Amino acid sequence: MAIRFDYLAKETGTNLVRNPSLTLAAVLTVAVSLALLGFSLIFREGVGRVSDRWSDDVEFIVWMRPDASDEQISAVDQKLAASPLVADHSYVNRAATFAEFVEYFEEVPEVVQTVEPEQLPTSYRVVPTQTDLSFVDSLGQEYEGQPGVSEVVFAGDFIKQLNAITGLAINGVTIVAAVAAVAALLLMYNTIRTAVFARRREVEVMKLVGATNWFVRIPFMLEGLVQGLIGAGVAVLAMFGVNRMIRDSRAAAELDFVNSFVLQPADLGPISLWLLLAGAAIGAIGSGFAVTRYLDA
Amino acid sequence: MIKLDDVTKTYSGENVALRSANADITKGEFVFLVGPSGSGKSTMLRLMNKSEEPDSGRIFVAGKDIGKLSSWKVPMLRRNIGSIFQDYKLLPNKTVAENVSFALEVIGRPRSVIKTQVPQICELVGLGDKAEKYPHQLSGGEQQRVSIARAFVNRPLILLADEPTGNLDPQTAIGIMRLLDRINKTGTTVVMATHDAKIVDTMQRRVIQLDTGNIVRDEREATYG
Repeated sequence: MAIRFDYLAKETGTNLVRNPSLTLAAVLTVAVSLALLGFSLIFREGVGRVSDRWSDDVEFIVWMRPDASDEQISAVDQKLAASPLVADHSYVNRAATFAEFVEYFEEVPEVVQTVEPEQLPTSYRVVPTQTDLSFVDSLGQEYEGQPGVSEVVFAGDFIKQLNAITGLAINGVTIVAAVAAVAALLLMYNTIRTAVFARRREVEVMKLVGATNWFVRIPFMLEGLVQGLIGAGVAVLAMFGVNRMIRDSRAAAELDFVNSFVLQPADLGPISLWLLLAGAAIGAIGSGFAVTRYLDA
Repeated sequence: MIKLDDVTKTYSGENVALRSANADITKGEFVFLVGPSGSGKSTMLRLMNKSEEPDSGRIFVAGKDIGKLSSWKVPMLRRNIGSIFQDYKLLPNKTVAENVSFALEVIGRPRSVIKTQVPQICELVGLGDKAEKYPHQLSGGEQQRVSIARAFVNRPLILLADEPTGNLDPQTAIGIMRLLDRINKTGTTVVMATHDAKIVDTMQRRVIQLDTGNIVRDEREATYG
């Protein structure tokens, strides 16, 4: 008693076409919900990248006191050179510090005028062997009490804050994505239920003439599958479109930060695939469940 | 063919639809269920194809206790029981031929069978020339003929009819009764709920009379009473 393929194809096809408003409603619901989900996934990916980019530069700076003696300065230098935990370090002398200072305050020449190179401290920029925050932290502490050292400033302080913020943002976006997914599921289930309700008479007749439950269910599930796939397809197209818009926008050209949110096709591919799978599964399973309500009458 | 053994059915615990009903309907019989609205006629029919479950008692169809039937076997039971209703229950977006062939398609009959059976049954019910019409293009009597064709196309052993002439004028009703009579003569057991006294009196068949859930009369070759 196999289900005939031509029967399935005919039923699914005519049912999709026969009720265009319901089909459209289902497709649009899937599209909007999955697009929402897709955007939150893109955003999540983007936020992740922003913090990645910054943490590449993790280092700390050992500031020497302006009145530190040459011995004290070279002692720090020797300690840094001897440490197996330090990958690289560079000495920034007064002239270089002054040059940076001038560049930093380029727009306020009054400030620059009040400072002489001799007043500025020298410093060591340190690149540790590991970028792990706690590692950098404990390594930096070692230089804190060193004679001639005024203070150790961690790029980590900034990174820590940034990481905390991006961590929060990722959590937030993940929650939004989860809520979007649940909303998508419920919306679709509701739309599909409406569609099935509109055809309860057909289900009744099918049961009456002795169709098995699966025979009733399968055309509905196929219909849901097609609607889900089309909806997910629309969502994927929207995602690609928005991604392209961000990429081509002026903000992306000028701001590295915005550019982090532009995904490459390699990243969009898996997201698209997931969305299509989700659309198909939600459509088919949702329909299957929705029909079941009318089967156990 | 159908046997009710001390069957009781109540709705929502209070309304008794059928009380300790006993009946034995043999193969090829034509039985009228009569009685006022709410007397339990429809419930009795619905119990016979397992659309309802009895509270107590047993129901046998073709020798099998359908209470013991597992749910996945219910469709098989229904394939042996055709059902027709006062409101026809046709699918409005399918033509006459499609409505009839739908009944064969959903039980997985091969296309070759459908191709020969459907025109044949349409001819039998007198709608050979209207096979491509939609239900709304047909009169009430013609729509009921389509529903009979759909119920009978699978050659069931039993035909259950719930007020099939309820919406039809007397003249049209007679036509439907002739059709049901013909189907009965092929050996199909027919159980028909009605409150059309004239039809019952004319046909002179077995009558089971119900009143508020009780079988108050069961007579052969009887009248509406």
